[in-house]
Amino acid sequence: MSAFDLIAGVLLVASALAAVTLKNAVHAGLALVGNFLVLAMVYFALEAQFLGWIQIIVYAGAVMVLFLFVIMLLYDAKADVGVDRLRWMRPVGAALAAVFFLALAYAFSGVGPVNPLADVKLAGGLPGPLGKLLYGLWLYIVLLIAVLLFVATVSAVVLVQPQTRKARVKPQVSERDRELEEVGK
Amino acid sequence: MSYYLLLSALLFAIGLYGVLSRRTAILIFMSIELMLNAANLALVAFARGSGNLEGQAMALVVIALAAAEVAVGLGIIVAVFRARSSTSVDDLAELRG
Repeated sequence: MSAFDLIAGVLLVASALAAVTLKNAVHAGLALVGNFLVLAMVYFALEAQFLGWIQIIVYAGAVMVLFLFVIMLLYDAKADVGVDRLRWMRPVGAALAAVFFLALAYAFSGVGPVNPLADVKLAGGLPGPLGKLLYGLWLYIVLLIAVLLFVATVSAVVLVQPQTRKARVKPQVSERDRELEEVGK
Repeated sequence: MSYYLLLSALLFAIGLYGVLSRRTAILIFMSIELMLNAANLALVAFARGSGNLEGQAMALVVIALAAAEVAVGLGIIVAVFRARSSTSVDDLAELRG
């Protein structure tokens, strides 16, 4: 384990803890951006260069900017909202998370290097070899992702649409209504 | 290599704690992003350990899925905020099972 691994691990855990405990939502979002950037560095170290750049562009760039936009749009920059109805949820959540971590660690404990004799053929995780895989064996999955992103875009636009206005009443109709009302009097 | 697997398990547990303890919908969403990233770290570590690029391709799929999820999720949050002027999940308790 190199010094890089240690520093990256400490930074990852610290920024993740900050992201789930900070009271100000903007601060939590910025901690999450830091977490994503350190994670991109870890990807570079693990021979996943394309994925590292995608992590920076898509996650630290697009997704987190969207989050910060929504936080600021809704004036929702605080984590404390009213009375806590489930006061016991915090320690129970911490205990559940600890149990889950132990279970995952136990599951991972049996995983070693799968074939240590074969030399690693990741080619640095560059777009070339990755693209050959994505546009070959994984082509239908890529197409399905395209459909998913399309549907998500359409649904997001529909969800945030302002209330649809009522159909405008024709002037002749409103005139007739007014006349009928006068006759009724 | 199991160091990064342990790290990803720890990050996932932290995200789980965030989902269970946060009470604002946006912050719960952020914790979900943390969990997705932990899964991605595990996938990349597996790819590095086995010398197989498919782990990285799967991580790319997860990133695209997270982008779609964020678009729809934030749309729902904005729509709920318009109706209720609040994003606290405690205020959305009318739908009882």
